[in-house]
Amino acid sequence: MEQRAVMVQQLIDVSVIEACQQGDREAFQLLFETYKDKVFSIAVYAIGGDRAIADDVTQQIFLKLFTAIRQYRGDSQFTTWLYRLVVNACIDERRRRSRWLPWGETVAMKHTGERKPQEKQFARLEVAEAVREAIGELKPKFRLPILLKYIEGLSYEEIASVMGCSKGTVASRLNRGHSQLAKRLAHLNTASTWND
Amino acid sequence: MFSKHVTKDISAYCHGELSPEAARQFAEHVMACAKCRSEFEEIKRGIKLAEQLPQLEAPESLWEGIEARLGEDERINKREWRPWTVAAAAVLVIVAGLGLWRLWDRTFKNNLSNQLAASSWQVLRLDGAPRIGGEQVRFSGRLGIGEWLETDGSSRAQIAVSSIGTVDIDENTRVRLLETAPTEHRLELQRGKMSAMIWAPPRLFFVDTPSAVAADLGCAYTLEVDDHGAGLLRVTSGWVALELKDRESIVPAGAACETRPGVGPGTPFFEDASALFKSALNEIDFQQNAVGKPPGVDALLNEARPRDTLTLWHLLARVHGDDRARVYDKLAGFAPPPAGVTREGVLQLDGAMLERWKGVLEFSWQRGGDKSVPKALSDVYFRVKNGVGRRMKALP
Repeated sequence: MEQRAVMVQQLIDVSVIEACQQGDREAFQLLFETYKDKVFSIAVYAIGGDRAIADDVTQQIFLKLFTAIRQYRGDSQFTTWLYRLVVNACIDERRRRSRWLPWGETVAMKHTGERKPQEKQFARLEVAEAVREAIGELKPKFRLPILLKYIEGLSYEEIASVMGCSKGTVASRLNRGHSQLAKRLAHLNTASTWND
Repeated sequence: MFSKHVTKDISAYCHGELSPEAARQFAEHVMACAKCRSEFEEIKRGIKLAEQLPQLEAPESLWEGIEARLGEDERINKREWRPWTVAAAAVLVIVAGLGLWRLWDRTFKNNLSNQLAASSWQVLRLDGAPRIGGEQVRFSGRLGIGEWLETDGSSRAQIAVSSIGTVDIDENTRVRLLETAPTEHRLELQRGKMSAMIWAPPRLFFVDTPSAVAADLGCAYTLEVDDHGAGLLRVTSGWVALELKDRESIVPAGAACETRPGVGPGTPFFEDASALFKSALNEIDFQQNAVGKPPGVDALLNEARPRDTLTLWHLLARVHGDDRARVYDKLAGFAPPPAGVTREGVLQLDGAMLERWKGVLEFSWQRGGDKSVPKALSDVYFRVKNGVGRRMKALP
């Protein structure tokens, strides 16, 4: 399934974007299907785990995307442009709520649909859950680069472009984020789940 | 080199974001600097944790809300079509569709090729006709995760291990790429012989064999596996750890170590030891008799030289009772244990005492054993194992 998602993502090229700019509904849907999980994941993790808020934010992002795509001129990569929209929407949401919710404060994440239902091993789920909580506790400036790196797979240069900072700042924030994750989750015995 | 730490670059190094030259300088520094190595381990762990973050699945209902809003706009823009305009539009759609398909196809293939390059290693043909997944490699190819690279009796190949080193594959060898990630590169050697030259912080490159896992500690080595799964590791520079479950052998340059299925790594030995010494060690490691008492201990102790403390130290935990006491006495005769390490503690296999003693012994294991390697490089390897401070004190 992941491989299919990658393959579909490869199909989003300039012609699809041009079709979207001309109001082509099918092209919109292709764009939506390609990016919906990634955008939703960022929204969930960035906002603090509240699925209802993430639903709303994701919907707003795509509506804004479909309108704003007419202004996309191709002077940066489409993904960079898209994730800038996503990050700004999440930051706006934070401003609206005046703070970022700590992880799991309002909604338990155990019921969100995960992409890998085959990963039923308790230890692996336990680690994944602990990682989600720990990432939710990071400051936004450390959290967002980690989400863009591990959910979206962006390069440092792309992350820098999305966040409007230098590559060095991205490297530094990722360093701090990784270090804090390791410290917060020092208690986890993850060897068995990493090596299988 | 030591005045400027490289901790700020750790994540960038692990993600392959540094230039080759910067990556080389980073690796060199981390191998030599205990502080940076400690932070490297912590951040590497953080990266492994972050990689566990799952992507979530957006709810199906999401599109409905968006579509409803889009529908309103579309209704406003809807126009009536006449038959001739429909026909003309159909022709245009077909022509555009064909062009689009060719564009998509080309873009898709290009992008897919870039994607594959990121998760595969480059392979160069050195001799003959090596094969990747059954396909012959004419000049060069790529080894993807899960794919086998095979050589026959007249072919050889070289693999570029991401950006951290190279592995030469000899004749009649079968290897498979198991993993290539910022925090771990792993190859499986099913049979045959390979020579690795790795320049990276410790424990980034692993080779799985049927009877042990070779963990690189910054080194060059050859590894052979026969048709029965038995292996032989020979280290030419640096250090390699051979592991299987809780059994571990640390092998420095100039030393070798055999492995056997069902047993794991044997005891390491310097290759210039006498034939009798090596024969006795083979008996101890792999030919336990019916009552469990290892043969060959007497012969081995008689043949042992001061340099063989490498073997004697490892043997402490692998023989029992009187044999352990005799190994201890021989070892202590060559290199008395440091302060705080007692005979009783060692005979009871006190882990802290064994490690402390090993820390002293390692200097003699490394010194003189790495003649093929430039001294600066050898010193870096030494510092990896023993820490900069101790090395500085030891030097005149």
